[in-house]
Amino acid sequence: MFRLRTRHTAIALSLLALLTAACSASSATSTSATGSTGSCMPGDNPVVTLAGYSNVYDAYGKLTASSGTFVGDWKNAHNGQSVIFQASYGGSTTQAQNVVNGFPADIVALSLDPDVQLIQVAGLITHDWQSGRDHGYVGTSVVVFEVRPGNPKHIENWDDLAQPGLQILTPDPAQSGGARWNIVAAYGAAMRGEVPGYQANDPADAQRLLEGIFSNVSVMDKSANDSLKNFQAGNGDVAITYEYAALAAQKSGDENEMVIPASTVAIQTPVAVVDKNAESHCVKDIADAFVEYLHSDEAKGIFDTVGFERPVDLEAAQAGQGVESTFAPITDLFTTDDIGGWDELTDTTVFGPDGAFTKAQAAAQG
Amino acid sequence: MSTQGELRPARLSAPTRKRLVHGGLIAVALVYVGTLVLAPLVGITWAATRAGWHTWSATFADPTARHAYVLTGVITLVTVVVTAILGVVVALVLSRDLFPGRGLLSAVADLPIAISPVIVGLMAVLLFGTGGWFESWFSARGIRILFAVPSIAIVTLFICIPFVIREVTPILQELGTEEEQAAKTLGATSLQTFFRVTLPNIRWGLLYGIALSTARAIGEVGAVVVVSGLIAGQTETATLFILRAFDQFHDETGYVVALTLAMVSIVLLAGIEIFKHREEKELSR
Amino acid sequence: MQEQVGTLVREDPRPAKPAAGSRARQVARAAMGRWSLRSVALLYLGLMVALPTAAVVIRGFGGGLAALKEALDAPGAHQALMLSVGLAALTAVINAVLGTVVAYVLVRYRFVGRGVLSTLVDIPFAVPTLVTGVMLVALYGPNSLVGGFFIDHGFQIIFARPGILLALLFVTLPLVVRTVQPVLHQLDLAEEEAARVLGASRWVTFRKVVLPHLRSAVVAGGLLSFARAIGEYGAVVILSGNLLNKTLTAPVFIYQLISDFKPDAAAAVATLLFGLSFTLVLVTERLTRGRPA
Repeated sequence: MFRLRTRHTAIALSLLALLTAACSASSATSTSATGSTGSCMPGDNPVVTLAGYSNVYDAYGKLTASSGTFVGDWKNAHNGQSVIFQASYGGSTTQAQNVVNGFPADIVALSLDPDVQLIQVAGLITHDWQSGRDHGYVGTSVVVFEVRPGNPKHIENWDDLAQPGLQILTPDPAQSGGARWNIVAAYGAAMRGEVPGYQANDPADAQRLLEGIFSNVSVMDKSANDSLKNFQAGNGDVAITYEYAALAAQKSGDENEMVIPASTVAIQTPVAVVDKNAESHCVKDIADAFVEYLHSDEAKGIFDTVGFERPVDLEAAQAGQGVESTFAPITDLFTTDDIGGWDELTDTTVFGPDGAFTKAQAAAQG
Repeated sequence: MSTQGELRPARLSAPTRKRLVHGGLIAVALVYVGTLVLAPLVGITWAATRAGWHTWSATFADPTARHAYVLTGVITLVTVVVTAILGVVVALVLSRDLFPGRGLLSAVADLPIAISPVIVGLMAVLLFGTGGWFESWFSARGIRILFAVPSIAIVTLFICIPFVIREVTPILQELGTEEEQAAKTLGATSLQTFFRVTLPNIRWGLLYGIALSTARAIGEVGAVVVVSGLIAGQTETATLFILRAFDQFHDETGYVVALTLAMVSIVLLAGIEIFKHREEKELSR
Repeated sequence: MQEQVGTLVREDPRPAKPAAGSRARQVARAAMGRWSLRSVALLYLGLMVALPTAAVVIRGFGGGLAALKEALDAPGAHQALMLSVGLAALTAVINAVLGTVVAYVLVRYRFVGRGVLSTLVDIPFAVPTLVTGVMLVALYGPNSLVGGFFIDHGFQIIFARPGILLALLFVTLPLVVRTVQPVLHQLDLAEEEAARVLGASRWVTFRKVVLPHLRSAVVAGGLLSFARAIGEYGAVVILSGNLLNKTLTAPVFIYQLISDFKPDAAAAVATLLFGLSFTLVLVTERLTRGRPA
């Protein structure tokens, strides 16, 4: 039987607790230095925080690695200053809202323009991020279908998704940028007349297609990754996803098949510096330099080989000529600008109060 | 007992039936608990060992993994110390101090057990997020609560509050105040009485409660996933690391860390068993 | 206890302090001590527990009952709540029955492996909930031995309801067993033996003699299991699959709402869920504290 040296132990433990609390609190506030507007002191190990959408961790992991080119070059050019990158990944829209609500990201790598605009509208991005190189895009991917081996349900095009009784996996549009890309792809393909059975330039027909598709959706996954995992685990007949997610899954042994519809949208993913945060963390110059680096040939190569993304140049993307790899060519590759631009799609034609998707979702759930 | 064989139409002899029934019940219990608890433990050990040595060493070399363990450790330590000390205070008040509203206080102390951890995360968001009750006070002083370590500590604290209280209060109630009163009449101060009389009496119950809190704090995920911001290397606890590993299709790394946590909790379990055993012996004295 | 008290006793058996006038001071000091303890306790629980809970409830009920109802009409809310209630009820019933069997076996029988069984029952108290989910994925997932067998035969466990049920049964197992066990311990075997001597069968004896004593403990354990199962997140999230009506439980749904930046809807569903489980926990307290010492 042991006797607790109770008084001494209690005092020691309390001191230890106070000490630990103080240390962790101070480390938390020092690495996320907020509020202090004063002259920026260049530290030895500045920390840059990146908020990314769910799929790109492998590519950014390599791009931001402490053994990577950017960190190495910066160190050589800046007296041994060792940049540390910290990253958080999640559904694109969730991440954007988090940043608006105070998440201290210095750089955002999101899955579609409107999510970056959310942050700009909130006043955190003060420069015109779309006027930079490649309009701020760092890669292109496309919306594809992931089906069971042998494609038992014969899913080739968007109209096949509307067949009754099919179980479709696609993420929740309120959280995931990927969900909105999927919807826009279906809408665009129908509007361009590339979907058999649906008239071109006919919003009513586009709505009909969306309604048919979404009657077959009964999941609320929070990100494109979740949909894919769900599908891999055996749920559903088809998952609408990004090409690079499907390719990454195939690379890690997934036996499911990927089908590219004849007409699909070019998923152009933007990256931008969050000026307000980067300035208050005194890392604006590093953040700007890193975003510049993302447009370099070497970065593009990494996006290709590690991220399975097609090149930013749309002609090359459509032909399937990657920076390093080859992709399947696409019959009709269109951008959101080709079907009206994000503003119109979000506010009016697709996601607006009378938009094709809004009405289709209501009808499908009603 | 022997009359039974004669009363009933003899199919099986009574002792055999008895053995069958006993055996049957034991078998049911063993199969149920074995399938429910033992099989998954075997499963994860298998999956984690199948990951191979290189996955293990890669995971332990990974700075974000190490940071995740450290963060979990720090949060657990702070949580356990605070809830233990203040939990004893509350237990003293609940068992000794008769005041109106004591029942309400007891109910409040039990609240966290009934609340889903995701709801605890929501509480933190409502208090410290944009438009939250305390948000302006903290942001004016440049203190970040959400998407930073303080929020992780706060939610874990909330969740671990009841354990020590629930274990120590009944002990104090059973013991009564005789010994403390005896000490007082002999001239001891309150503090002396507490440390020399009360604390040794509640020792095992306190340790049991602490062990339960520790296990709970280590395993917290539902609230932390809401508030932490999931910044790898900064606000990612061990459990969040596992979530991310599975999310990013790095299942093997996930299994490795999960098995590590499972092993830690088995050790804790040993402590729990010992302390519980001692506590029961004390209570039945 | 003699040793501890003994160290305070001095040579002189008379009380250390002089009598009379300082008695009032002693009483005053005791009262102050009591009051300061009480304030610490009230401040601690008030700030750390009551306040945050109020924040959710106020937000949930903030717009009145009409707003609450509207928030609950969010797509998926009904299904998620019904699913959680259904699965939690099933969990509670299964564990009430089988947990009682386990408790009975642990108390009444001696057999090889009894200690192991007892330890296994406590494991869910120690293991992190997320690790529980991971273990189930490791055992029944598509890449595992066992899982592959089941999927080949068309029976899906992970990302489907059986998996969630297994997870809930795991985390609630000790709740029934450890509630029933102490009561069984205290039962007087004489009653049972008398019944047997008088010719009652084993089952009748159990039903009429043992069960009435156990009833409140079994019910309490079942209610506690229900309350715990309805709010479980960590063990469920990793094998949920988010299929509405099939595997999207209320806590996972609330998490979706929070990620969707719908704090009002989240607070509404949360208030309902929390109200339900808190009531159950209170009832359980009543039932277990009522038993004889």
